[in-house]
Amino acid sequence: MGDSKSEILQGTLDLMVLQTLEAMGPLHGYGIARRIEQISDDVLQLNQGTIYASLLRLQQRRWITGSWGTSENNRKAKFYSITRTGRRQLATEAENWQRIAGVIGRMLRLAER
Amino acid sequence: MLTRLFVVVSRLRAIFDRRRLDDDFDAEIAAHLSMLVDDNLRRGLSRQAAERAALVQFGGPLQLTERQRASRGLPIVDTTAQDVRYALRSLRRNPAFASVAILTLAIGIAAATAMFTVAHAVLLRPLPFAEPDRLVEISEVNPLKGWTHTVVAPANLADWRARNTVFTDIAGYIGLDDRGASEYRVFLSGAGDTQPLNAIAVMGNLFDVLRTPPLLGRTFTFDETFEGRDRVVVLSHGTWQTIFGGDPAIVGRTIVLSGRSTTVVGVMPPAFFFPNKSVQCWLPIGVKPDVFATMRRPHWMHTVARLRPGMSLAQARDQMTTIATELERIYPETNTKMGVRLEPLHGIMAADARPTVLMLGGAVAILFVIVCANVASLQLGRGLGRAREIAVRRALGAGRARLVRQLLTEGLVLSIAGTAVGVVMALAAPAFLMRVAPDALPLFATPLIDRAVLLFAVVLGLSAPAVFGLMPAITSSDVDRLTLRADTPSRHTTRARELLVAGEVALAVVLIAGSILLARTLFRLQQVDPGFRPDHVVSFKVSLPRARYPQDADQARGFADIERRLGELPRVQAVGGTSALAMRGSTYTSEATLEGRAADDYERELRHKSVTPGYFNTMGIRLLAGRYLTAHDGPKDMVTVVNESLARQYFRGADPVGKRIKFGRPTDTDPWITIIGVVGDEKQDGLNKETQPEAYAAIAASTQNPLTIVVRSSLSTDAVVDAARRTVRAFDKDLAITDIATLTDVIDSSVASERFRAILVGGFAAVALFLAALGIYGVLTYVVSQRWRELGIRLALGAPPPELFAMVVRQGMRPVVAGAVAGVAAAIAVTSLVESLLFGIHAGDPATYVLSAGVLAAIALAACAIPAARAMRVDPLVALHED
Repeated sequence: MGDSKSEILQGTLDLMVLQTLEAMGPLHGYGIARRIEQISDDVLQLNQGTIYASLLRLQQRRWITGSWGTSENNRKAKFYSITRTGRRQLATEAENWQRIAGVIGRMLRLAER
Repeated sequence: MLTRLFVVVSRLRAIFDRRRLDDDFDAEIAAHLSMLVDDNLRRGLSRQAAERAALVQFGGPLQLTERQRASRGLPIVDTTAQDVRYALRSLRRNPAFASVAILTLAIGIAAATAMFTVAHAVLLRPLPFAEPDRLVEISEVNPLKGWTHTVVAPANLADWRARNTVFTDIAGYIGLDDRGASEYRVFLSGAGDTQPLNAIAVMGNLFDVLRTPPLLGRTFTFDETFEGRDRVVVLSHGTWQTIFGGDPAIVGRTIVLSGRSTTVVGVMPPAFFFPNKSVQCWLPIGVKPDVFATMRRPHWMHTVARLRPGMSLAQARDQMTTIATELERIYPETNTKMGVRLEPLHGIMAADARPTVLMLGGAVAILFVIVCANVASLQLGRGLGRAREIAVRRALGAGRARLVRQLLTEGLVLSIAGTAVGVVMALAAPAFLMRVAPDALPLFATPLIDRAVLLFAVVLGLSAPAVFGLMPAITSSDVDRLTLRADTPSRHTTRARELLVAGEVALAVVLIAGSILLARTLFRLQQVDPGFRPDHVVSFKVSLPRARYPQDADQARGFADIERRLGELPRVQAVGGTSALAMRGSTYTSEATLEGRAADDYERELRHKSVTPGYFNTMGIRLLAGRYLTAHDGPKDMVTVVNESLARQYFRGADPVGKRIKFGRPTDTDPWITIIGVVGDEKQDGLNKETQPEAYAAIAASTQNPLTIVVRSSLSTDAVVDAARRTVRAFDKDLAITDIATLTDVIDSSVASERFRAILVGGFAAVALFLAALGIYGVLTYVVSQRWRELGIRLALGAPPPELFAMVVRQGMRPVVAGAVAGVAAAIAVTSLVESLLFGIHAGDPATYVLSAGVLAAIALAACAIPAARAMRVDPLVALHED
């Protein structure tokens, strides 16, 4: 396992995808994958294919929808966009995440002392 | 919550939309990869390197697609659908196997379902009353009279009602014969021909005990039990519909029943019957109130009682026994040793049929196991090609459990098809059962294909693959993974099939032995001399309404006139009448005292019937001593004819003619009656029952109504019935004749249960035998095909063909012999359970077992002979050139 790259926690990928779509608007799978890699400064190790498992999960829950369109380079691609319930979910998840991150951070700080 | 629902919906949708979703996903991945490649190209990589890098960045697209499919739909549905499709394809490729297996299963399921309709109708379906399991029948028992289950005396019933605290109420009713059929007829006149209706006469509280409200009007009040208030009738729904055309104003209408105007007070709902479906209307018994105060000697009422809430049957038995003991103390004259017996109503109604139903259920279960064994053997026998295919799938990584599941799915597909065909076959069951067994099933039980029956068939069909499919599935998935050599001649499979054959043979022997015992029982019964000549005699009942024939003398004259008119018809040889036809019980019973015996020496139970002078002659009952009754023997003559059993039991060999007898105890004041003749015994309750002592009175001396008329004639039955109907109408246009039956029919219907059992078990045994033969044939054909080369070599080396024939037959008969031995042992154990259903033969009868094994061996040999003959015809050259 590379020391500078981290595996993505189960479930966090979904959150990242939702946040990406919220921030960037409708995007295809490749675009989402690239965006996550860029944001993480290539810290996260991502098989781009795994993004599709996440996209399927989110679609099944109706947090995102997909439809075919044309990419910037004139390629046919499937574009995903976040739904209203998806936005609501993102808000809750983000808040959850902040709280847990806060707790973990505090615990780690305590352990350092 | 909603989210979870969305997921399920989406997964379900995916199952039906797989092709489009697959294409969609493939396109998406392709687009993604090409974008990756474009980027890599832009970064200056060569096309080849760009493409390779793209694949690495993306991950394996194939695995991804697989994973996507799995999480998109419901994997279990997907693989099952796959298995089903695969099974259908594989069955289509083997139509012979598929059709034999499906047909075999269908026969098994049809037979089991048909039997279940019977069991359901007789034992399981609740009676159509509120809380039917709280209803109890009370009967009287008396060891002195040999009573184990007898109708009750009205005064005892009245005392029980007054003293008990365990029942909400006890009701009584009359008018049933021994088989539970209504024998009470009322005659509806007024419009067109007089119409007989089956009725029972009830106490006013009967419907309250049953707790069934009427559909229209009301039921009876308790007061209406008694004479004077009893001109009311409650109709069954069927009677209202068919006879009164569903007249909406029926309640309150006055109709004429047996010459008396009677008011219809109510109509019962369609599902209601009591005590069985033959009853068309209910009338009050119409007795004088003092009957319930004083009548303690004659026993004639059936009862039904409802347990109070919270009261158990055991508590009720306790209290009723105590009450019976009290009554015994108060009324020693009549009630000495008189006990009570309480049984659940449904149980007692089904009691006669219960052993039959259980036995047939057992037989059909055996048949079903044979069916499953056969299908299992067939599946194993698909052998070679199958094993190779399984080995390949195994090698490609299919797990054993997955293979077993797939093979079981195939079994399930077979079974579903078999169930569908079987249920269609079973739809004919009720009609078939009613034809072979109109008199074998209790009247309240009508076999019906209803939801419970269908559910049974489906559950049976769905669970069958577990029985017949598991063993072949496990055996055939057991291939050597390293060498993939499942296609070498598999001793394993052959051994398994031989074991199945042995099992089938053993079970078939049990069924064959059972059917032989039952067939011989029927045969023995039919050999029994009924004591009369049944050929060419037609019987029917005539009832003279009290309203128009009020005195005994009027009735006696009426019957005499009818008898004379019938006797004058052309080609009528003889005419007679009786109050109780042979095979149909007796009219009543009494105690009896012989002149000259000690004061405490009397007979407890003597049967009585009244006959016209022509009866003995018409029936062909032999005169053994003295003379028959004649038209001159009237009420004042005090004479009787007795049967042979009475002469033997009461007089112990002495000649009874001229002796005197009185129908009561020594102290009773009954008159002395002179015995003027002894006649041969006629069977009273059935061919398998010993004839009991019976005294015949002249109809003029002891008038009974209705009378069963017997006519001996060389005319056809229809012609006799026609002429009789016209003659009776000519005598009185308001009379109808009922209960028409030839004496041959009467005897036949008395052995209906035996015939029913023999036919059904015989049918099961025949099917079992056929299936066992099929199993033997299948295995041996398989073995011969496997040893084709070996047989060829033997022939080439000079083995004489007959020797090969014998060799193959020996191999085929090995499991048969083992199975037959086990089968005989099992049959001896099992058939002893049905000893009570046999007559004139014992369950242990050795000839039966020898015969069963012999029949089976003969059929088995025939089944072996075909493949063995093929073995003789192996052409060595062809056999050796194969491969």
